[in-house]
Amino acid sequence: MIAPGAQASAWDLPTRLFHWALTVLVVFSYVTGKLGGEWMTWHMRSGYTILALIGFRLAWGFVGPAPARFASFLRGPATTLAYLRTLRAGNRPAPAGHNPLGGWNVVLMLALLALQAGTGLFSNDESAHEGPLAAKVSDAMVDRMSAIHGWVQLVLVVVVALHVAAVLFYQLGLRIDVVRSMVAGAPTAPRTVALAAAFAAASAAVVYWLVVLYPKP
Amino acid sequence: MKTVLLALALVATAAIAQAQIKPETQVKLRKSAYSLMNYSFGALDAMAEGKRPYSKDDAVRFADLLQQVSTVPKTMFGEGTDKAGETRAKPEIWTHRADFDTKMNKMIDEVANLAQVARSGDQAALKRAVHETDNACNACHDEYRTKRQ
Repeated sequence: MIAPGAQASAWDLPTRLFHWALTVLVVFSYVTGKLGGEWMTWHMRSGYTILALIGFRLAWGFVGPAPARFASFLRGPATTLAYLRTLRAGNRPAPAGHNPLGGWNVVLMLALLALQAGTGLFSNDESAHEGPLAAKVSDAMVDRMSAIHGWVQLVLVVVVALHVAAVLFYQLGLRIDVVRSMVAGAPTAPRTVALAAAFAAASAAVVYWLVVLYPKP
Repeated sequence: MKTVLLALALVATAAIAQAQIKPETQVKLRKSAYSLMNYSFGALDAMAEGKRPYSKDDAVRFADLLQQVSTVPKTMFGEGTDKAGETRAKPEIWTHRADFDTKMNKMIDEVANLAQVARSGDQAALKRAVHETDNACNACHDEYRTKRQ
């Protein structure tokens, strides 16, 4: 068993900031989407920010510190299943960083959120609000994108619920303080933070171009 | 007197619409009305949100168009229009008619208010009126229109 202190050393500051910013924005997007109407302006801004965050996380998955890299936590099906069996046997495996199952969950959530934010750009609410790229495609495409946006939202609710359930299971069932490790985390060199800021800025610039500059008539 | 005549004319128009227009045509007409409402209201919302430069003249023009068309759908949900041609109107409209009519009238009232507010040239008030109208529109969409598949 690895002590919570060792667990806590996995996440660099940018990864933690990314995680909690995403958490807040996903909840905010869900609520504003349900409220609709005047909240759609904020719903869309939230979506753009999520898109920029995902862009950053993808880059960070290649250039960030080892535990944040995809190559370090994406395992084959055999390893993932073996990990699942360890859990079922009642062990308390606590690899620093993502466990094999959690690693795939990261990819799943990033993919679903990218799909959700991406389809949102082409969606409308059939009242007064439409994504910045809706005017660039046919009405049939807008309807299709809007429908997908509606379905993925349901899938995301399930996936997020599973994620929270898994965290509660580690926290309360296995007594591994995974929440703390996502809060306290590893000491991060200023150079790493600067690199992250550069990639986040680049990602934000790409999204800004996509949702503001490119759609301008 | 004028009001009474106007009321009579409106009732008569509604009665004529229900009685004479084929269900298929009613569906076509209400969808056309909604398209124009979407066009005019979309422009007003863009103005309210600062995505389109504000102009009082434009606001009045779009609000007037919106108001003129806003009373059309109410008269086009007659008998047999639940499955005449392609429509996303839910059958609940005809089983919860009183509630549907209340929501429809609320939208018509909000649009009428919006048209008045547009004349005032008060941008903050316009924004509020746009939001109220948006909510009134969505109230019906959420309950009485099937989602896109």
